[in-house]
Amino acid sequence: MSTQRANQLVEAGLWLRLSGDAQGAQKLFERALELDPGNTRAQESLATLVGGNTGTGPFSAPSTEVSTRATPLPSLEGDWGAWAVGEPSLAVEETAVVRTASVLLPDADAGPPESDVLELLSRDETPITQEYGLPPDTYRAPLGETELERLLRGAGDLLELDDHSGAVDLLFKAQELAPGDPRVEALRLRSERMLMAMLESKLGDLGRVPRVRLQPDDVIWLNLDHRAGFVLAQIDGGVTYEDLFALSGMTRLDTARILAQLLDEGVIASG
Amino acid sequence: MAEPEPLIGIDLGTTNSIVATVQDGQPVVIKNRTGQALTPSVVAVSKNGKRLVGSIAKRQAITNPQETVYAAKRLIGRKFSSHEVQDALRQLPYEVVCGQHDDLRVRMGGKDLAVPELSAMILQELKADAEAHFGRPVSKAVVTVPAYFNDAQRQATKDAGRIAGLDVLRIINEPTAAALAYGFSRTVNGRVAVLDLGGGTFDVSVLEINQGVFDVVATGGDTYLGGEDWDNRIIEWLVFGFAKEHGIDLRKDRMALQRLKDAAEKAKVELSGMRETQLNLPFISTPPGGGAALHLQAALAREKLEDLTNDLTERVVGLTTEVLGEAGVRPSELKEVILVGGMSRMPRVVEAVRNYFRREPCKGVHPEEVVALGAAVQAHALVAQESELLLLDVTPQSLGVAIAGGFVRRIIPKNTTVPTSATEVFATSKDFQRVVKIMVLQGEHDAAHQNELLGEFVLSGLREAPRGQVEIEVTFDINAEGIVSVSARDRETSLRQSITVTASSGLTEDELKRIMDEQRGYLMAARISEELIARRVELDTLARDVMDALTRARLLPGGGGLPPDAVPRAEQVLEHARQVRAGEDVGALGRACELLAASLAQLKNPARSGMGR
Repeated sequence: MSTQRANQLVEAGLWLRLSGDAQGAQKLFERALELDPGNTRAQESLATLVGGNTGTGPFSAPSTEVSTRATPLPSLEGDWGAWAVGEPSLAVEETAVVRTASVLLPDADAGPPESDVLELLSRDETPITQEYGLPPDTYRAPLGETELERLLRGAGDLLELDDHSGAVDLLFKAQELAPGDPRVEALRLRSERMLMAMLESKLGDLGRVPRVRLQPDDVIWLNLDHRAGFVLAQIDGGVTYEDLFALSGMTRLDTARILAQLLDEGVIASG
Repeated sequence: MAEPEPLIGIDLGTTNSIVATVQDGQPVVIKNRTGQALTPSVVAVSKNGKRLVGSIAKRQAITNPQETVYAAKRLIGRKFSSHEVQDALRQLPYEVVCGQHDDLRVRMGGKDLAVPELSAMILQELKADAEAHFGRPVSKAVVTVPAYFNDAQRQATKDAGRIAGLDVLRIINEPTAAALAYGFSRTVNGRVAVLDLGGGTFDVSVLEINQGVFDVVATGGDTYLGGEDWDNRIIEWLVFGFAKEHGIDLRKDRMALQRLKDAAEKAKVELSGMRETQLNLPFISTPPGGGAALHLQAALAREKLEDLTNDLTERVVGLTTEVLGEAGVRPSELKEVILVGGMSRMPRVVEAVRNYFRREPCKGVHPEEVVALGAAVQAHALVAQESELLLLDVTPQSLGVAIAGGFVRRIIPKNTTVPTSATEVFATSKDFQRVVKIMVLQGEHDAAHQNELLGEFVLSGLREAPRGQVEIEVTFDINAEGIVSVSARDRETSLRQSITVTASSGLTEDELKRIMDEQRGYLMAARISEELIARRVELDTLARDVMDALTRARLLPGGGGLPPDAVPRAEQVLEHARQVRAGEDVGALGRACELLAASLAQLKNPARSGMGR
């Protein structure tokens, strides 16, 4: 059982890696190795990842640091709202790394790839909190009780690994499957609270006034979606983070995610 | 000697509000806490349940339309069943329901709020701005209203002031305030036109100024013509341009629409001072099916804006002609023309007014600020007892009774100084009439049904006689508080019946008291919440510093000379802080901060600190 679970975790780790979350992927590989210390795929994946990570050490060249943060897959971009474009050459390099990872095939005892919770996540390309625009894709693969259980278990695993962002995304999906389920609701509230606390701590004092660090001519070269564009447009040197939560028209969580991302990417700075 | 209590004048507008005061003998605008003179008259409850007032509320108006209330002034003091309200409801995105006394309630944040309650939120914000300016409490104000407001609307505005914790010294007419700001009470004897083109309304008034007495001789306009119409033309132009280029209708996306609205307003303002402006809205829309977000970039010239809005400017001139025509006033008779409201800064509007009146309109005072400045002048004069500037409290509209044939007999004309009293004798209109019905009306229309019915009563037991032989004496009394008493007396028998009419905003005294209590509770909770946030931020900073100091202490050989219990004690303090942070006890948070500070001092400087010994 632990071998199977370890394989699932490796699969999930590869998906995370594909989506650009190298840190999350590393945690999953390490957890897989805890469950099944002899798991060669986990060892190899971790080695590849850590090998790639060597650039993040204090003595490495700055450019290699970017390699741990792959350009996200379009399917996940919407969930985060904001991504600053990396150097084009690096993006190409990352694509190559991604291809290497994706050719790893699952073990015979692992479930089919599409049954993995992270695969489920990537299957739905519609942003979860999309409030307007194109009508949401009405197609949904037949999902049953087992899928709900799998989503819940996956969210639980991610929560144990402190990946609250991934857990929240899974729980939103679980909620779509079982809107009134108290377990889903309780877990979602818990993980949302945790994620919100983490994002708020990243933003710091919410009474501070953020400012845009880039000139308008540079802003247009960023790779933002319209929601991040809206939040960015509201940052005028007069409104606080708390004000932005109020006027974004989005949920507090979505706004915090966008702001944290803009802050991470150096598009904005706290005043 | 104690400083005199600060006094303020408030222009409570449909779209924007302003507060002003008199300092060192000069009227000045008090900027709000974001440094702006104008505070949008918008209140909202955001999606996270926070009450928003002013520019923040305005900026989320389109993305949160059901919970954002604007233009409450169009509804204040009106009856739900009135055609003005029914017309307004067709255009409002927020929900309005009927109250218990045919008044209005606006549904916001899960509560049904009276309109004065909403206006009070704006007044409260202005009061807070004034208090921040003076550094002490402010409780007395003069508030302006349109000249056409009736008693109920004026009373509702007064009630809004009361809810906001303001003693409204006087309600004055907006055009009168504008003329006061120009000092016309001293310099002009004659007729003055005031054209107020604001964000959402256009009011034309003609004042007769005579030895410092202001009489509104004509008023009219359009309560649905203002700066927003100009903004909408720019939005349409941008939307169609974008649709042509990309095949996307931006109006379907609320976020895009909010950005368009903000940009259009900004461009319009800029075009009053420059000939061309750029509109840059990056990432305005994500194309259907995904892909990179699209940018909107456009250049708008003043001439183009004038083309787009030519009919609106023509309407301004048309309505002015209409009002002057109805009042029988020729443009050449006017001594001065005052332009009020932000939209009157648009060069094309100024030009149209200049061409119509064949004179240069007054430009000395900022058109957006002039009404608030006039209100401040009046507030100052009221307290300083400057009689030459003192406006008298007058009846805003005529009072009378309905007479046979469906007409009105005016007993107290409008602009009569209060307190006042007037009596008139009527006779029965039918043979052997035993009963007369006295209907008390307010308004200027000759047809009874076109005026507002303030109240009615019946005088019975009259002597049976041919028509015209029984005489009834009707007396109107208005006291200094504006309370109207009407009595009818049979001159022969001295049989008497009376009624007292108090202008009502639609709120009873009990409701007013309850709302005022709730407001006090809200303000208290808001203050505690602010304190809570500040304490938590302080606690977080201290906790981070303690954790850093702990890490350093653990790495140093021998704990860096710390007493043996210093580390476990610091850990305990941190754990306690963690628990307290989850709660909402400001006092406990303060104590936790003190403990953390003491612990930090000990960890950083063990020799000096007495803790742990």
